[in-house]
Amino acid sequence: MKIPYKNSTFTIGLIVLAVIITFFLSVPILKMFVGVGSDKLLETIKDGEVLSSILLTMKVSLWAMVFVLITGLPLAYLIARYEFWGKSFLETIIDIPIMIPHTAAGIALLSTFGDTGLGDFFKYFGIEFVGTEYGIMIAMMFLSAPFLINAAKDGFRKVDPKLEKVARTLGANPFRVFFAISIPNARKDIINGALMMWSRGLGEFGAVIILVYHPMVTPVLIFDRFSSYGLSYSAPVAAVIIGFSALVFLIIRFIANRFD
Amino acid sequence: MSYLSIKNLSNSVADFSLDNINLDIEKGEYFVLLGQSGSGKTRLLETIAGLYSNSGKIYYKDEVLSDKAPEDRDIGFVYQDFALFPNLNVYENIVFSGRYREIENAEEHLANIVDFLEIKNLLDRSIDDISGGEKQRVAIARSLYSKPKILLLDEPLSAIDPTFRNAIMKKLKEVHRKFDLTTIHVTHNFREASYLADKIAIIMNGKIEQIGTSDEVLNHPKTIEVARFLGFKNIFPSTLIHEEKDSGYFSVDPNVIRILNASDLKCDYTFEGVIEECMGITDHFKLFVNVDGNQFFIKILKREYENCFSNMHENVIIGFNRKDVSFI
Repeated sequence: MKIPYKNSTFTIGLIVLAVIITFFLSVPILKMFVGVGSDKLLETIKDGEVLSSILLTMKVSLWAMVFVLITGLPLAYLIARYEFWGKSFLETIIDIPIMIPHTAAGIALLSTFGDTGLGDFFKYFGIEFVGTEYGIMIAMMFLSAPFLINAAKDGFRKVDPKLEKVARTLGANPFRVFFAISIPNARKDIINGALMMWSRGLGEFGAVIILVYHPMVTPVLIFDRFSSYGLSYSAPVAAVIIGFSALVFLIIRFIANRFD
Repeated sequence: MSYLSIKNLSNSVADFSLDNINLDIEKGEYFVLLGQSGSGKTRLLETIAGLYSNSGKIYYKDEVLSDKAPEDRDIGFVYQDFALFPNLNVYENIVFSGRYREIENAEEHLANIVDFLEIKNLLDRSIDDISGGEKQRVAIARSLYSKPKILLLDEPLSAIDPTFRNAIMKKLKEVHRKFDLTTIHVTHNFREASYLADKIAIIMNGKIEQIGTSDEVLNHPKTIEVARFLGFKNIFPSTLIHEEKDSGYFSVDPNVIRILNASDLKCDYTFEGVIEECMGITDHFKLFVNVDGNQFFIKILKREYENCFSNMHENVIIGFNRKDVSFI
């Protein structure tokens, strides 16, 4: 590390404060792995209930992410490219889930998609939200979609509109321009947003538990084991989900960087 | 009907309007649209390309172009900052239009363009790894590859290092001839226009002020505003030289006004004035002489006058000839 002002009080002050926050952010995570021990970790990985819960969590969060990629990218593009009445209001609506307590979001979702007209409408197509994977998906999606939409919006704003204009003069219609120019040139932000959304989905607890206790997503499983058996039974599950998430994150980052 | 004909074109977007534009451009013409920043030049190009809607009509021969989407107009566009696609390499940029249009003899056509623009060694490069001049050639190649009916160039020289501008102007002219193009080139630089243009239109505040051949427009401006924009100096009422012309103004080049001796008044028009300022600039003096409230700007070579007129408010006689006067 290059230190601009040798031994200056300012630099030392920066380092001390930076170490405090880095310690706070990293030690609990490291403690999960060190404290649990490898035997316990291996045993937990082999535990069918834990593994299926982790896979379920990852899978459903992925569905939610894909759904928001399909519906949220057009929304992000609209906001980034067009001026229209109510745009600020729309942007506020997108941000609301970030601000509200997750349990409150769960209640809101239950009141909308539970035993209601809208819930009955979906039931007609065989889709139920209480106690199903669909319920987990909408809970994850409601609370984590803003991360993807906002990141994509920033990404699209960074794409020079002239690129899209030139592409049109070269024969590409607006749909083709969107897929050949707008999305590829905003990909960094879109990938970051998608990863952020997916990982937020993995950790979603408050809203999920109100809609769906079973099947158990990992945060619910951790809570269930903690409240039923205590810390020593819940910590390995937490360590395993953290490990899995970090692994998937690293793989996606590696692939994304390879394509850059 | 002309090759490209613009009839009563108007549009209004974000507090700026194009106002009743009428232009006729013939096949093979190098047409320069000359105007200051914010005059509507780029907007007009983008409207021709279909990127803004408009009232009025744009015709390509007999075909109404203004009803078509940009992707169906076959118009090539090169932006000032080139707008190359960062997600594609040089080759992919150039052949982009081939994904959406049938390009006849594509391989031969590409080889032809690449050879002529000398960009063969760049084809595999990322667009981040090429210079400004190279980017411009790639952007032109990308447009040419699509075989456009009309090529639109938006200030193509302004992002180029001044030392390369002359060479690129020459290249633009060669490209225009070699590929049998009809080109509309937008610029604020009248020297560029004078070198390249077969025809020039002056655009100001979204209106076409004057259209004509390069000589007509650059040497015979129709209005004082156009004259001022083109750098004409010494614009005064014609009554000062006792000439009655329609517009009532004339202009005279600062380089042809002479300082005369009282004993040698050999010019068609002579005036007595007072020196207000004299500035020595490298090889010449800039002299400002007040004649009855009209300030004449005169350039005189240092080698012809040993000393500047250091005595301000000194009376001098200035003169110029009728052949050097441009009536506006």
